[in-house]
Amino acid sequence: MKTSDKTVYKNMSLCSFGNGANLTAVDSMDGRVVRMRPVHFDEHYTKEDLNYWTIEARGHTFEPGMKTLNSPFTFIYKTRTYSPNRIPFPLKRVDWDPKGERHPENRGKSKFERISWDEATDIIASEIVRIDETYGRNSIFCQGDGHGETGSIHGPHGTMANLLDMTGGLTMQARQPDSWEGWYWGAKHAWGNEPLGQNTHQHNLFKDISENSDAVLFWGCDPETTPWGWSGQQASRLCFWFSEIGVKQIHIAPDVNYANAVHSDMWIPILPNTDAAMQLAIAYVWMTEGTYDKDYVATHTDGFDWFEYYVLGNEDGIPKTPEWAEEKCHVPAYRIKALARYWAKHNVSIGHCNGGSYIRSCYSHEPARLEVYLLAMQAVGKPGRNQVKFIEWALIGMDSFNPLPPGHFLPEVRACYHGSVLGELPASFIPKTLVPQCITVGEGEKVEWYGHTTSRHHRTDQFKKFQFPQEGDHGIRMIWSDSPCWSTCWNGGNKFQDALTHPNLEFFLVEHPWMENDTLFADMILPISTTLELDDFGVDTYSGQFNSIIWERHACDRQHESLSDYEAVLEVAKKLEKYGGIYEDCASHLSGDMTVEEWQEVGYQGSGLPEEEQDLELIKEQGYQMLPTREGWDTEPAGMIEFYEDPENNPMETPTGKIEFYSTGLANFFPDDPERQPVAKWIEESETHHERLSCERAKEYPFLLVSNHPRWRIHANFDDCPWTREIETCKVIGKDGYAYEPVWINPVDAERLGIVDGDIVEVFNERGTVLGGAYITERIIPGAVLQDHGAETDPIVPGVGGIDRGGANNLIAPSATSSKNAAGEVTGGFLVGVKKCDIDALMERYPEAFQAEHYTVETGTNVYDYLQED
Amino acid sequence: MKAILFDSSLCNGCYGCQMACKDEHCGNSWLPIAAEEPLTGQFWCRVDQETRGKTPEVKVQYTPVLCAHCDNAPCIEAGEEGAVYRREDGLVIIDPEKSKGQRQIVDSCPAHVIYWNDELEIPQKCTGCAHLLDDGWEVPRCVDVCATGALTYVDEEDIPEDAEPMPVLADNHPHVYYWHIPRRWVYGVLVDRVINEVIIGATVRLEDAEGNQVAVLTTDDFGEFRFKELASAPHTVRASVEGYEDVVLEADTTDEDVVLGDIFLKALA
Repeated sequence: MKTSDKTVYKNMSLCSFGNGANLTAVDSMDGRVVRMRPVHFDEHYTKEDLNYWTIEARGHTFEPGMKTLNSPFTFIYKTRTYSPNRIPFPLKRVDWDPKGERHPENRGKSKFERISWDEATDIIASEIVRIDETYGRNSIFCQGDGHGETGSIHGPHGTMANLLDMTGGLTMQARQPDSWEGWYWGAKHAWGNEPLGQNTHQHNLFKDISENSDAVLFWGCDPETTPWGWSGQQASRLCFWFSEIGVKQIHIAPDVNYANAVHSDMWIPILPNTDAAMQLAIAYVWMTEGTYDKDYVATHTDGFDWFEYYVLGNEDGIPKTPEWAEEKCHVPAYRIKALARYWAKHNVSIGHCNGGSYIRSCYSHEPARLEVYLLAMQAVGKPGRNQVKFIEWALIGMDSFNPLPPGHFLPEVRACYHGSVLGELPASFIPKTLVPQCITVGEGEKVEWYGHTTSRHHRTDQFKKFQFPQEGDHGIRMIWSDSPCWSTCWNGGNKFQDALTHPNLEFFLVEHPWMENDTLFADMILPISTTLELDDFGVDTYSGQFNSIIWERHACDRQHESLSDYEAVLEVAKKLEKYGGIYEDCASHLSGDMTVEEWQEVGYQGSGLPEEEQDLELIKEQGYQMLPTREGWDTEPAGMIEFYEDPENNPMETPTGKIEFYSTGLANFFPDDPERQPVAKWIEESETHHERLSCERAKEYPFLLVSNHPRWRIHANFDDCPWTREIETCKVIGKDGYAYEPVWINPVDAERLGIVDGDIVEVFNERGTVLGGAYITERIIPGAVLQDHGAETDPIVPGVGGIDRGGANNLIAPSATSSKNAAGEVTGGFLVGVKKCDIDALMERYPEAFQAEHYTVETGTNVYDYLQED
Repeated sequence: MKAILFDSSLCNGCYGCQMACKDEHCGNSWLPIAAEEPLTGQFWCRVDQETRGKTPEVKVQYTPVLCAHCDNAPCIEAGEEGAVYRREDGLVIIDPEKSKGQRQIVDSCPAHVIYWNDELEIPQKCTGCAHLLDDGWEVPRCVDVCATGALTYVDEEDIPEDAEPMPVLADNHPHVYYWHIPRRWVYGVLVDRVINEVIIGATVRLEDAEGNQVAVLTTDDFGEFRFKELASAPHTVRASVEGYEDVVLEADTTDEDVVLGDIFLKALA
């Protein structure tokens, strides 16, 4: 029997920026995708070809494997391509008339009507020209940075910014390090490790841990979840490997996340965003028992006495004892002491993979810096004592960020990439965390902040002050987005929804494959193709196995009237060309007058692959090309060993070249910032945030919300997938037949609240309410509740104080940033109340919000419920 | 015959097997071996999950449940007019045409892995990816996508001795085997709450209902003890620590794992 008639290869990464992992085989038949599967390297390569690596330790061997380690998202991707929620044709909001009334107040409320591509691109071009002439180019704001698909030629994110840039300029959204805020805003000031703030000296760290570590602390992270969209499942195999060779895995988190549930040797439950208290208490134990590495602290660090003075209570009269910490973090004092003493006696590394309330809550720079302090007190860099990441191996093209054996070179897509490059910003830009404030800023007013805020910028960039709008500019009049998930993925989505109805905003244009999230608030929507419909060029560099270069071909026909982002922008460019002047030949400039196949060739030739290894015919025929492991990888220095051995000649990227307990940069530029002082501290509350159980607000909102990277989504992606939605931890079907986002509640709390498994519940604070389905479980501690982030927004009442049925809890996250001078996001570890929802009363009160005829439990919301009936 | 070996110690609960099975069969017709599976609701390869323990010792046990292509297959018996048949390679297939209307086939399976398709009025289940094997594949989809090696496709004679046949089908000679599924466990921590210290190096004994010693452990650096691989039966935990009153605690693992949690010792007067 024929089981396919064509196989193509794709990079099924979901990191949005042209790289990631994993290489995937896509089988199709009669123009339809039939299956997506791992690639077996031995179909074209021997182990010798790949310079196959192994890690030998303690009498065992770890192997990378001879097939790709795709996450399950690969195997369900065709349901995204064939989703009933695909936007079928260009849409215009019915009461948005570019020649008349625009009704900004009705964004998110009124429905859409079909228009043609020709009509749509005519309107877009004329709006760009009009806004440019009326207000200036900086009044066009582009959101082009993910989350979403990964592509290169078809540049799923930011292609429009390139068009605008080459024709006169724009204001760009600056994507801040949204999954690791604390490292960026805090740790960099303690140990440099530019530009990320996480350890960027990761070479050979999995080998080092395997050989030398007794334990790995998984501190507020989940290697079974977060890596899936970036690196696949090698992280999971490494955790099993640690079990095999007896490296103790200790999880510190409020929840039994998916890695904890299967890999952990020990769980230390802790209240969300109170890790700083426990870290201080650990330091207290070491200081009072003399169990830290005093020699290392003397030779490798600076300002320890400041920290010691604070920890011992000399500064504020409060010694940071384990008993003191227990009250804050609910980890018993005896367990804190036991952990501190175990750590002092063993080789301990710390593992991370982003996300969670440890590293993206209020003041996240404090736990991040405190972790660096603790690592330093136990001689970080010494064999077995490092910080390692289980995700984003080779992020932003940094070879030293890969803790597994690297390829002989790191291929790139840059030569054919049409998207925006993270960190490359025009003069006018807005941090993504401050978008609502910048949309609504009044004439003559301004929003100010520090730093470009993207993960590519150096520590000292955080000392530069910026503003929006620039002098003489007129604020945001048009938004062009290809990343329409701000409301469900960033900080304070309800405020964003309100901002979108601001009268200054004349045109909100969205490109997207699906009718979801911010798209609901658009004035015009362009239907975009998914990656399976496109020819493209890709690299798999995050897999933790072997690098590969992929000659991507489309696996199925175009769905509906969709075009790729690149093609859609080109159609707009063609219309702009008719205006002449600055627009002359802009479409030609953007496309280089080249076909996609010519771009593929450019991509391949410019990938960095040594010329003698290039074989265009082979990669076209084979679909991909594997690259061998670097010779001599196993003798390269591991982690921060060079700093450990010789700090004078291998300094950290701090002003003193040492690990700074006292951040000299912060002391110079922000000497009086009580929220981010020169020495990291416990901040109870402050002018920016009141999100502790001790705060007055906690009387009404007595739970701390854990909002992890979702298990069954990549951020906002995949909420329409029928095969995840029927998994018990993915959705809870309410009595009204709606599939709610689960809210994990400990049985103790559930009983007190009168909530039983399956109840529809409200998670709320003064910023609004999101609904969810009660999932009563021991996997969350009392005092905390968990609801993954990124559920698809389904507003009953949009905006601040509103109600969201989808359970997109970022809507009710604080709008205020990490702290006054740190423009990071706070999207977890904030206060909420929880109560049983009277869904019947809501239906009675808001009948129009419950009339979706096309909604199904299987796939969720449906584009046809947002279309005006003829 | 080939068998599927599930090594629980390598399963991360990604549900990749369950979802890839759907990728293979939902929306794809592999007649005459299988008709299309409905978009949702059927689980030819189903992952069951069970949360074990309580805060602060909680584990999740994942177990794939799928047709074991039994030697003694009740579905073959239940099918009329040869609606269910065994191939030469041993795979048990429900004929999508002949089985029309034969709902009794669904009810015949003790493992409940046969599903009724309302629209087509046929019973459906795992085919062992017979269509792929016929096309040259070496393993079925669920095994091919397993990244961690928890699912392997092995000759039955290579099944490890300590693996067990899928329990619900044990009498039918199934070709799905489970390996390393943890038996019951008991967890606790010895603590002196007055001085806020865990008790390290204390001897902890576990006894069965008759008072026989089942296991003995020493508390670790965290004051913790974990008794593993226990029978589903009543147990008693005993600890004698110098300077404290003896600890005697019931730990009945008949129906569930037992988390004694933090045990506060009383100092002797």
